[in-house]
Amino acid sequence: MNALIIGQLAVSGALMGLVYALIAYGFQLTYATSKSINFGQGELVMVSAFFSLTLLDLGVPYALMVPGGLIFGALLGLLVERTGVRLALEEKSEGWVLLTIILGLFFFSAAENIWGRDDRPFPTPLSQNPVQVFGIDITRMEISVAVGVFAIMGLIELFKRRTLLGKAFEAVSADRDAAELMGISATRTVMLSYGLSGAVAALAGILVSPITTVGPTMASAMILKAFSVAVVAGLDSGFGVVLIGMILGALEGLASFYIGSGWREAPGLVLLILALAVRPTGVFGKAGIRKV
Amino acid sequence: MLLVEDLHAGYGTSEVLTGLSLEVRAGTVVALIGANGAGKTTTMRAVSGALRPSRGRVVLDGRDVQGLDASRIARLGLAHAPEGRKVFGPLTVEDNLLLGAYARLPRFFGFRRRAKSDLDRIYELFPRLRERARQTAGTLSGGEQQMLAIGRALMANPKVMLLDEPSMGLAPVIVQEVFRTIRQLKEAGITLLLVEQFARSALEVADYAYVMERGRIAVHGTPAELHRDERVLSAYLG
Repeated sequence: MNALIIGQLAVSGALMGLVYALIAYGFQLTYATSKSINFGQGELVMVSAFFSLTLLDLGVPYALMVPGGLIFGALLGLLVERTGVRLALEEKSEGWVLLTIILGLFFFSAAENIWGRDDRPFPTPLSQNPVQVFGIDITRMEISVAVGVFAIMGLIELFKRRTLLGKAFEAVSADRDAAELMGISATRTVMLSYGLSGAVAALAGILVSPITTVGPTMASAMILKAFSVAVVAGLDSGFGVVLIGMILGALEGLASFYIGSGWREAPGLVLLILALAVRPTGVFGKAGIRKV
Repeated sequence: MLLVEDLHAGYGTSEVLTGLSLEVRAGTVVALIGANGAGKTTTMRAVSGALRPSRGRVVLDGRDVQGLDASRIARLGLAHAPEGRKVFGPLTVEDNLLLGAYARLPRFFGFRRRAKSDLDRIYELFPRLRERARQTAGTLSGGEQQMLAIGRALMANPKVMLLDEPSMGLAPVIVQEVFRTIRQLKEAGITLLLVEQFARSALEVADYAYVMERGRIAVHGTPAELHRDERVLSAYLG
């Protein structure tokens, strides 16, 4: 019986951890091309979730809401790149750190003003009946999280490996200047990475909202854990964030049950501190250390 | 084909190029030689747009290109095989070559088929690259990486190719192989601007040569003329 509880907590937690992994993957995408990340990524998750909810409120069918939300997220990503990142990078400054934080605050206030401060439920077309696997209940929403996360990461990895544009993306990641000499525009590649990263953030919001509800602060705890996952896994391994995300999610579920719900945030921070102390480049990372 | 007039460029406030002019005619190999620090690599970077020139003109096939982004200049037909080779280490040899032709291939699908004949041409020139096509470029030896950098630049079918220090850091046997390749490029009619530390070997393949000193051209002429110049002879060919 005890094993069943542990299994239940671990599996639910791990599936939730996939959302952290997906957000961390969004960090990796922009870090690869520009060595910058959007510190307001959590607000992108939240605003996109609100936007998608509004689409549903307006009567847009679920199947159209998802691509609509993704496109909206991609546009927000492009906006962040244009207003918060590009100028700083052109000046070879670290100003993007502050600028992306400020943009995040701006999105946060905008969301509060447009949609209010209350948490709202996010409808789902999925049935509430869980599926039983080896005695463990898995909700259909949790399954949709796993399907969505693996689908978008798989598609993006396929894009990077199979298309010439994707290879150009990898080339800019490897050597931006040399890529320019091949006729590849680094600026446009960075835009592409921010667009993809925004879409990924929007998908994270759409997948997690039916489980957590939608509200201005919905992503503030999530984003900290996504940071932890990105730091622990390293900023260049997609496989790494999935694995670390699931481990972290499982640990969280177990900690909140066995120690107390107040300890839910503890495993992420412990992992983060351990990783920074023992292996600052991340378990799967090979990138050099850079202070910002 | 390539005309450079009164080019000024530098890093920060220090000016490295102080009014450099040169010309590369279609179908010729032009060597740019000079001491370390004379500004040879800076010249290449300022021509290809990797470094933005502060003054002067760069004319590629009748078109002013100074001040454009490097990617734009590359798409207009200038291929720059940079100093230190700069191959894409994590990508395969074949992907590196395909990216060389990026400007004229479809972005999503069918690019491999479209590039087939060009790839075969490069593989014929460098059979070693065909053997290693699926390997990542980072695992190649220095000589193989140089071949890849040249092959990648050729994949663009460029109007002009810049080749910066292709022999740098290579064993003497490999250096000979590099110069054999350059001779093959010349026979194929490639328009080439070559920067080399091995001035003697460079002059053997070149149709015309420029000698740089402190950011500008000090002497220029055909290799035969330079060989008659006492000063060049003692300083660079001694």
